[in-house]
Amino acid sequence: MSGHGFLLANYVPGSSLLHRAPLWLKFLLVVGCGMASFLIVDWAAAAAALAVMCSLFLLSGAGVSRLFRAVRPVLPVLAAIGLLQWWQLGGPTAARIVLNVLVCIVAASVLTATTAVQRLLDGVASLAKPFQRFGADPERFALTIAIMLRSIPFIAGAYSDVRDSARARGLERNPRALILPVFITTVAFARQTGDALAARGLGEADTEEHAPPTAPAAGYAVP
Amino acid sequence: MTQSTGSAAATPARQRNRWNATDLGLIAVFAALVASSALIAAIPVAGMGVPITVQTLAVMLTGLALGPGRAFAAVGLYVLLGLAGLPIFSGGRAGLGVLAGPSAGYIIGFVVAATAAGWLTVLVLRRTAGRPGRLRAVLLFAAAMVSSIIFVHGLGILGMMVNAKLDLSKAFLVDLVFYPGDVIKNVLAVTIALALHKAFPDLLIRRIRSGAGAPAGTFAPHATVVHRP
Repeated sequence: MSGHGFLLANYVPGSSLLHRAPLWLKFLLVVGCGMASFLIVDWAAAAAALAVMCSLFLLSGAGVSRLFRAVRPVLPVLAAIGLLQWWQLGGPTAARIVLNVLVCIVAASVLTATTAVQRLLDGVASLAKPFQRFGADPERFALTIAIMLRSIPFIAGAYSDVRDSARARGLERNPRALILPVFITTVAFARQTGDALAARGLGEADTEEHAPPTAPAAGYAVP
Repeated sequence: MTQSTGSAAATPARQRNRWNATDLGLIAVFAALVASSALIAAIPVAGMGVPITVQTLAVMLTGLALGPGRAFAAVGLYVLLGLAGLPIFSGGRAGLGVLAGPSAGYIIGFVVAATAAGWLTVLVLRRTAGRPGRLRAVLLFAAAMVSSIIFVHGLGILGMMVNAKLDLSKAFLVDLVFYPGDVIKNVLAVTIALALHKAFPDLLIRRIRSGAGAPAGTFAPHATVVHRP
């Protein structure tokens, strides 16, 4: 089984201005770049924005190699789009389209490189708070996130175990033998988790005090 | 995060079913399943040159296995955490920047498609309640195909048009590449979903039955108590 290494992938510890900036401000930066990418019509403006974002990224002390690693996954696709649009719409427009996407990606990397995963997750969990009046439950939401994170290494491990056993039976090219056991394991694991939660009184809706308005309450009242 | 849940549960506006601990476990673990399916290497398929990625398979299967509400929660949780910055999108990508990339439409489409597939699955399982067999498998495959064509491919094309500024015909051509893999994955997803429902008969069916009797009863003991007097 692999560990929790995936949780640390993007964060670079540090104490720069960006590390200390509040999460909502960095979030606004990313959303602002997303909005700007629809408004900017000049490729020079897009290039300037990209330069600003790259310097912000470097200001956080994350380094050039990490900057490259952040944009590398999209480079082949962007190159293909850029070439196609260059041919279709001309150089400046193609440059603007590609640069705008890069601005958004670098801005988002600034956020993830300067914010610890735990703080990001706390931020996500606090998203549920405004919806409390509609029945959302921040505590159960945070609990679900925690269970999900803990389950990822387990399921990744199940995939590799099942792949090994399929190979041992000579079935490594049979997708059903490679996938079905993983999903069965997954459901069984989910239900064990649910039972473990229920046994600890975690994650249950408060049915005793606030019974659903229809049948169950009446059913208990008339034995 | 440490505050009491009592006030939240007491709020009157609560139309949907409350999920119990098992439902929370299923939602969390299926979200993790979609995430790990995006992270593991693609699986080689006999008779096909290109190995298939398991991610869309896991997304559609979440719908087929859990039904609309829990599938929406599971895939939505996956997308939410990916956007928040966990590197759980395919290729280890993460963060809000994904929304600016050409694959943004597909990622949003996952959530809607899983929900739609779940909704259709409940419909199919209800209609074919007495006679599980070939008909059920075919209908479930149709449900998976329809939801992935309309939502995954539809929103995927839309995403490429918005973010990569491709026109409709080109985006459609690019998207066409994914169809053969999708058909195979949906066939697989349906066989696996049927096996899951066989292995865990109360995964979705009992919810449907209790749902038909008492809309608010989320798990079986309540339903039996209701019907006894």
